[in-house]
Amino acid sequence: MLEVLGFEFFRNALAAGILASVACGIIGTYVVVRRMVSVSGGISHAAFGGIGLGYYLGIDPLLGAAGFTVASALGMGALQLRARQQMDTLIGAFWAAGMAIGILFVYLTPGFAPDLFSYLFGNILLVPQGDILLMAVLVIIIIAVVALLYREFQAITFDPDYATVMNLPVERLSLLLLVLIALTVVMLIRVVGIILVIALLTLPAAISRLYTTRIWTMMLLAVALGIAFSVTGIGLSYILNVPSGATIILVSTLAYAGALGVERLRQGD
Amino acid sequence: MSTPVIEVDDVWVRLHGQTVLEAVSLAVNPNEFYAIIGPNGGGKTTLLRVILGLLAPSRGVVRILGRTEKEMRKDLGYVPQFRTFDFEYPITVREMVLSGRLGHITRFPRRYDEEDHARAEQALETMQIANLADRQIRDLSGGEQQRTIIARALVSDPKVLLLDEPTVYVDAPTEAQFYRILDRLRTRMAIVLVTHDIGVIPERVNRVACLNRRLYTHGTNEITPDMLEAAYHCPVDLIAHGVPHRVLSEHSREE
Repeated sequence: MLEVLGFEFFRNALAAGILASVACGIIGTYVVVRRMVSVSGGISHAAFGGIGLGYYLGIDPLLGAAGFTVASALGMGALQLRARQQMDTLIGAFWAAGMAIGILFVYLTPGFAPDLFSYLFGNILLVPQGDILLMAVLVIIIIAVVALLYREFQAITFDPDYATVMNLPVERLSLLLLVLIALTVVMLIRVVGIILVIALLTLPAAISRLYTTRIWTMMLLAVALGIAFSVTGIGLSYILNVPSGATIILVSTLAYAGALGVERLRQGD
Repeated sequence: MSTPVIEVDDVWVRLHGQTVLEAVSLAVNPNEFYAIIGPNGGGKTTLLRVILGLLAPSRGVVRILGRTEKEMRKDLGYVPQFRTFDFEYPITVREMVLSGRLGHITRFPRRYDEEDHARAEQALETMQIANLADRQIRDLSGGEQQRTIIARALVSDPKVLLLDEPTVYVDAPTEAQFYRILDRLRTRMAIVLVTHDIGVIPERVNRVACLNRRLYTHGTNEITPDMLEAAYHCPVDLIAHGVPHRVLSEHSREE
């Protein structure tokens, strides 16, 4: 088993899994405590529009995805701050429109769209070296921003009205947090694909929440869990020769179900 | 005469085509204990949100210490409704109380200094929750959670404490303790208490107003049957049996 570590593709896969887990643990913590799971779902599916645009224009589809996710995050954020009702409908509209735009662009692109499947379902074993570098840069940005604005993010995710009364720039901070979610989603597309992003973003943080009492400890445990799930998933998918993204997600889901079950038993007695 | 800590001047609010507040004016003076009662849906929370600058009125202005700038609201200590809180949020009592200092920190990145920590400890002591400081808010009793919320409002050294339905979800002993706490605080700041429960208005209140779209008041601590009737639009004997007997007087709208 250990001899696979000699292969560059496998080392890259592990590096990508670890970097994605760091971003997920940090940003997923805010997604879970602020109940932004469906917003994140909207952002990640809107990314497909960007992938399609990337194919159509002949640029890196991930670049298109980055543009689309950031734009849809800001769009949904602005709508949320102004029209407070019917947020779930708005999210649904972004979700479906992003997918629809992607399908149209892929259709309009002459010839065959290579790797289309890997953007939808992820293929961590094919992550190129350049993407690893890009992911590392994004992770550093996320850590730096969260370290600088830890108290502000805590205030706006815990009690936004009170943060407003304290004259914090709640609107700008909320939009910044959404942009960080969008960037994290782009990183995750490589690892688990658009359709499964939500699970990796939320499950490690959701499990971590059961055992922690502060935001930063919740982040640390979520990062550790994410790394454990992705390394296990990559290993299993290699041994069993099955898709890596789906394996990582199933490992995470099983762990979540197990944690909830144990929690039930603990509270039951 | 000193400047009122809060002045609401002819405020109107229309939401979704309905008039929620109509020509509401009131003034809260320093060290005054002002109670605003009214039925659910009568606009109490809306009025608080206008005072806090969370909602822009369609007409009228709010002055805090005589000034209209939004930044002035950092001198307000806000105690929101209990049920709006997410007590599952991973935050300790100390962190939550400290977060009340953020409005006073102007340096960047915002870090708590010695003074912030000292004030947080002081507020924890005042609310008698210092021994719970490292617990997550989920693991507290209802009364302890409520004291934590008040402690967060106190650390910013407010000129007035605004309480929205503070006694709805607490039991009788906790409620008695809560009023003892307010007794201690009222020498340090003005207090505005908003509630739908006319039975809870204690004798110690200086002024009472009834709010149901319009504000009805005498400028005294009396709740009179005609005020209640005007605010609740139903016969007084149906709603006023917790009210102590008071002298009847002609009601007027505060101008």
